[in-house]
Amino acid sequence: MGKLDGKVACITGGTRSIGRAMAEAFIAEGATVVVNGRDPAKGERCIAEMNAADRAVFFAGDAAKQSVVEGLIDFTIEKFGRLDICCLNSGGVQATAPVFMMSDEEWNLEVDWNLNHVFWGMRRALQHMMPRQSGRIIVTSSVEGKLGKPGLPGYVATKHAVNGLVKSAAHEVGTMGITVNAILPGIIETDIVRETGPASAEAMGVGSYEALIEMFCSESAIKRPNRVEEVAAVAVLLASDAARNMTGCLFPVDGGTLPY
Amino acid sequence: MGTLDGRVACVTGGTRGIGLAIAKAFLDEGAQVVINGRDPAKAARTIAELNAGDRVHFIAGDVKKREDCEAVVDGTVEHFGKIDILVANAGGADGFAPIAELSDEAMDDAMKWNLWHTLWVMRRAFKYMIPQGYGRVINVSSVEGKVGKPGMATYVAAKHAVNGLTKSAAKEVGVLGITVNALCPGVIETDIVKEGGAGAAAAMGLTYDQLLAAFAADSAIKRINEVEDVANVAVLLASEIGGGITGSLISIDGGTSPY
Repeated sequence: MGKLDGKVACITGGTRSIGRAMAEAFIAEGATVVVNGRDPAKGERCIAEMNAADRAVFFAGDAAKQSVVEGLIDFTIEKFGRLDICCLNSGGVQATAPVFMMSDEEWNLEVDWNLNHVFWGMRRALQHMMPRQSGRIIVTSSVEGKLGKPGLPGYVATKHAVNGLVKSAAHEVGTMGITVNAILPGIIETDIVRETGPASAEAMGVGSYEALIEMFCSESAIKRPNRVEEVAAVAVLLASDAARNMTGCLFPVDGGTLPY
Repeated sequence: MGTLDGRVACVTGGTRGIGLAIAKAFLDEGAQVVINGRDPAKAARTIAELNAGDRVHFIAGDVKKREDCEAVVDGTVEHFGKIDILVANAGGADGFAPIAELSDEAMDDAMKWNLWHTLWVMRRAFKYMIPQGYGRVINVSSVEGKVGKPGMATYVAAKHAVNGLTKSAAKEVGVLGITVNALCPGVIETDIVKEGGAGAAAAMGLTYDQLLAAFAADSAIKRINEVEDVANVAVLLASEIGGGITGSLISIDGGTSPY
């Protein structure tokens, strides 16, 4: 008896790190999951490793593209007949520069990946969930959705925007059996952070990737990075019937970093 | 196999309402649980209803008294050998009035019931949790710990204070394997709310039913919360995997709080 028996979920950026941990946790609780990612080879490996037979399927594409996000949701509904849980998880730091040096092109990369992707996915998912009067939307935001770091203005601004989107949507569909929540993880050494961390460290003027991680840890109470499984456990709670009365919530998983 | 197998929990105000729901959920997940309350007769009924044999134990005490708070925590350790999880759940307020007419006694009572009680049990629990390098403290606060309603200044101020205490404590023990979080539920029709609600409503110029409707109207779900909503989050925070969440003020309010 799992907490998500019979539920169908889709996860953007689901082949590794936080999204992968969510996929594995959902599968362990009985759900069927469609995971999205850019790299088909990585996707197939992910599906094989999760070893969930026909309860895990891969959908290839870049979550920063409207056609891909909408395609993922349509594919999930077509293949499994419904979508109960939509995790808009993909995102990250793509462009690092202080505001006065940032180009429009760099800015748009962040907006498409972190904000528009969430809007496109949420809109499409709600169109399916509203007639069914049932659904869960879970957005992976960040502590930077409430704070601010120098050199990452696109990431910080789009994560703030995502939190606002979550709150508005929650109020729109609050009486329709649909919840919309965001999870705000502190620093986690995901693949994305390992890839983009060195550039972020440089833009923030902290010297090295290690110093960047250390700086985030020092702002927390636990003085260590968070773990993907900690985020996945909250996602399971928010996805389950147990959280039917939790919505518009910005749920920190940050070891005590956020002041509010 | 429960997520709290082998854990010992202590829940103040555990004989009814939110505390009882948390105690039940912890028992379902395998924990041993001490419940506290003022009335032994009521407790006897609750214990019978919980039907958890020797995994549940009652300790009588009034959380507005320091000796009682400390005795509940000490008693947990005496009875079950340790304390892993503390839920400072008791709380409420009485004597609601607009500030211009508010009595010192009403403010003092709300502070004792909500803030001092939380400090007293947490401070005592830390004496056991710090040496053992493990602990989970869950303070039951309120959406009114983040926002404010007129006529409820005592309760609002006390719950804001509990949230502040939670954040400071989290930073103090963050590297010691101990987490400290607050749960901020929206209004729930518990016995305490049924008892004190009419007074709070009157201070706001409303009837009891209008008060509940006002809280529901502030939310996205347009209905009030339920005790199980709170218990489900408490289980997550109490569990091993909740170790990365601390100093958080978790809203369980159907979308009421703006942050």
